[in-house]
Amino acid sequence: MDRFRHLEPVVWAVTMLAIAFIGIGRSESSLVAVTTAGILIAAAALVTVPASSGNRFSLALAAATAVPLLIGPIFDFGGAVGAVAVGFLSGWVVLQLFGSAENLVTANSDFLRQSFGAFLFAAAYVVLAQAADVVVGAASANLVGAVGAALVWFGFETVAWALSTYDRVSRRYLIKLAVEDWPVAFSLFAVGALFAYVLPELGWWAPVVALLPYSFAHLAFYRSHSARITYSQTIRSLARIPEVAGLSPDGHSDRTAELAVAVATDLGLNPDEVRMVEYAARLHDIGRITLNELNIIKVGFTDDDIARWGAEIISEAPYLTEVAALVRQQHDPYRRPGERKDPDLPIPSKIIKAASAYDHATSELGFSALEALEVLHRGAAYDYDPDVVEGIRHIVMTR
Amino acid sequence: MQAVKVRLAIAYAALGVTALAVAMVTQDFPPLRDWAPFAVVAFLTVYHAVEVNDHLTASPAAMIFLATAVAFGAGHAALGAAAISAVSPVTKSDIAERRIALSVINWGQTVVAAVMAGFVLEPFFPDGAWSQRDFPLVAVGAMLASMVYHLVNWGLVSFAVRVVYRKREVRPWSRMGSILQSTVVMGFVGGLLGATYHLVPVALPLIFALFGVGYLAFSSLSELREAQEATLRGFIKALEAKDLYTRGHTERVAYFSQLIAERMNYRGTRLERVRWAALIHDVGKLAVPRDLIRKRGPLEDEEYLQLQTHAHVVEDLLAEVEFLRPMVEIASGHHSRFDGGGYGGTGHAHGTAPSQEARILAVADAFDAMTSTRSYRVALSQEFAFQELRSNAGTQFDPEVVEALVQSVVESGERYGSPNLGSEQDARYIAEGKAR
Repeated sequence: MDRFRHLEPVVWAVTMLAIAFIGIGRSESSLVAVTTAGILIAAAALVTVPASSGNRFSLALAAATAVPLLIGPIFDFGGAVGAVAVGFLSGWVVLQLFGSAENLVTANSDFLRQSFGAFLFAAAYVVLAQAADVVVGAASANLVGAVGAALVWFGFETVAWALSTYDRVSRRYLIKLAVEDWPVAFSLFAVGALFAYVLPELGWWAPVVALLPYSFAHLAFYRSHSARITYSQTIRSLARIPEVAGLSPDGHSDRTAELAVAVATDLGLNPDEVRMVEYAARLHDIGRITLNELNIIKVGFTDDDIARWGAEIISEAPYLTEVAALVRQQHDPYRRPGERKDPDLPIPSKIIKAASAYDHATSELGFSALEALEVLHRGAAYDYDPDVVEGIRHIVMTR
Repeated sequence: MQAVKVRLAIAYAALGVTALAVAMVTQDFPPLRDWAPFAVVAFLTVYHAVEVNDHLTASPAAMIFLATAVAFGAGHAALGAAAISAVSPVTKSDIAERRIALSVINWGQTVVAAVMAGFVLEPFFPDGAWSQRDFPLVAVGAMLASMVYHLVNWGLVSFAVRVVYRKREVRPWSRMGSILQSTVVMGFVGGLLGATYHLVPVALPLIFALFGVGYLAFSSLSELREAQEATLRGFIKALEAKDLYTRGHTERVAYFSQLIAERMNYRGTRLERVRWAALIHDVGKLAVPRDLIRKRGPLEDEEYLQLQTHAHVVEDLLAEVEFLRPMVEIASGHHSRFDGGGYGGTGHAHGTAPSQEARILAVADAFDAMTSTRSYRVALSQEFAFQELRSNAGTQFDPEVVEALVQSVVESGERYGSPNLGSEQDARYIAEGKAR
């Protein structure tokens, strides 16, 4: 499959060109109208907005929403599809000419996916609007068509993004993550529809009226995206304090967090829970910062002390109380000999316990991956949760 | 003060009622099905005001009021908008803190402002049916009305503050530039959206929905920003708490830095930057063996070198957080001297003066170090600290910054340090339990 990867853009471009020709040929609208709509989409394609999953949405979607609503409402399928093809094709050419090398690969697949999404939208719109025209009357046909088409598109986008983006992350998790992007998708459709509705009445004021409320939303998405990145960077830096101080092995928190997150997504946890796992795994050794006190070195300490000190430090941050609880329980065993397993022990804590042990074995004790897995297997059902051990085995063996 | 507040609340309520009555006599109430959705939206936006950025914390209430006034059109604008501001005066924090008098004062003043703004708008409306040609005139009118709304509001607020707290605002016009800017923008947007409603009523729910989604994102953003700050502060606090002598040091240095920066006319992002730099300025110390921080008596050369590295460790540690990069630069320069000497961060070339922000942090840090008790001596007096700062001004410290600190501490009436310890020598003797 990978051999043909570089052919993808070529096939895509040829398809677009063909669709553009056929669409415009069958269109009932003028060539000028279709081309103008296409240029609008192309210009919009250059603006992207980040969503919480890491996916980037292009404003072209808003423009592509407006086109079917604008060009000969409902019945000019050829014109709508032609405009979308012209738009994505010219946007893509502009990107090839002016884009930087490292974003071209992702840009290609984003264009591919998003232009298919736009076609799906146009097709679903036409079908649904015509059906609604018969069933509920012409007055609300537009609305039914637009809303239905938006839902079809969003479904396609979430699934396609999840399938095409990450190779080794559970698909179920990625789809859950993608569904959290709905506000961004929604605002793109809303601004497209808004533009289509106001353009005939307002003329040149239409872009102003449509873009004012949208720019508010755009700014909000942009800033919360960077705030989220900043927050996780902050957690990461704080987690490194004991490592910088030489009280904890270098890179341990990073490696543990990476493995813990992979296992958590593999076990089907929700995006919110995975975020908790990440923070707790990063911060699980923060209690070691206390170890540079002379009297503690003299008196000695246990793993449980470190967990307790860490939880004390973390619970000073009001937004991390959950994480503090997870860190507190990071050393609790799955089941003590002769007892039943502890049903209250949270899965994130069990994941952190096993992931940290695995990293300790491979990085500190110099074990190979198989030897480290053997250590976990020997402790399974006592120290470690068998499901978590199985998850780690799965991650490690497919890595 | 409570009695004054109640009297003021009654007066403002009377003003508001009068304004409403005037509007009712001269205008007709808009159709309820037009009015109700606007009222709901206005109430929600006022209730959930969010912080857009460091300059623009106000809720966009003015924009909503203008959009509604324009949407109701000639003969309804003032009454419609005033009736909406009459039903949406409370914010979440008002309810949480049970500020009844304040809410009433707020009610009166926004109603009066809305009525005035509505009447200002009136001449800008077209006579007959609306068309896109009316847009520029309406937008101009809405900008004017927005300014009137803001000025009336501001006048009534500052009057209330003067009466209740018997305090005049120090520089009432200092932030006028940026506020006027956002007022004009709000008016422009509100006017356009209101005018759009006349031509395409369908557009309105879409516009509201877009604002609503943006609002959700902004409120999650401000939650994240709070979480970010609370997390850093919490960690610093928890780590400091392990050391008796530096407990609260960071919080105090942040406070002093803010005092100085405010006096030196820092606003918005620049002020935030100084505060953040102060919050992180000692994170690197966590990497220094604690027994060294606490050591009594002079440090050996090697130990001193070890302590110095903490300025660089801060950089390594926090440089990964993009948002903190400018603050890290400030924090890492806080041990550099004004004349260019001293140890500094990697960004600091030896022999050049550090940035003004770093000089502020240096003075705040030194002041707190002198006025708090350390392992090697008890706290010195405030007067001694001032004197020491002044005598080192021009060499170690920036004279302008030192004066800003002295003035604002004196003005605030707060006192730091021991009441009567006149010299470093005395402080050491007491700490070591020796007689003078």
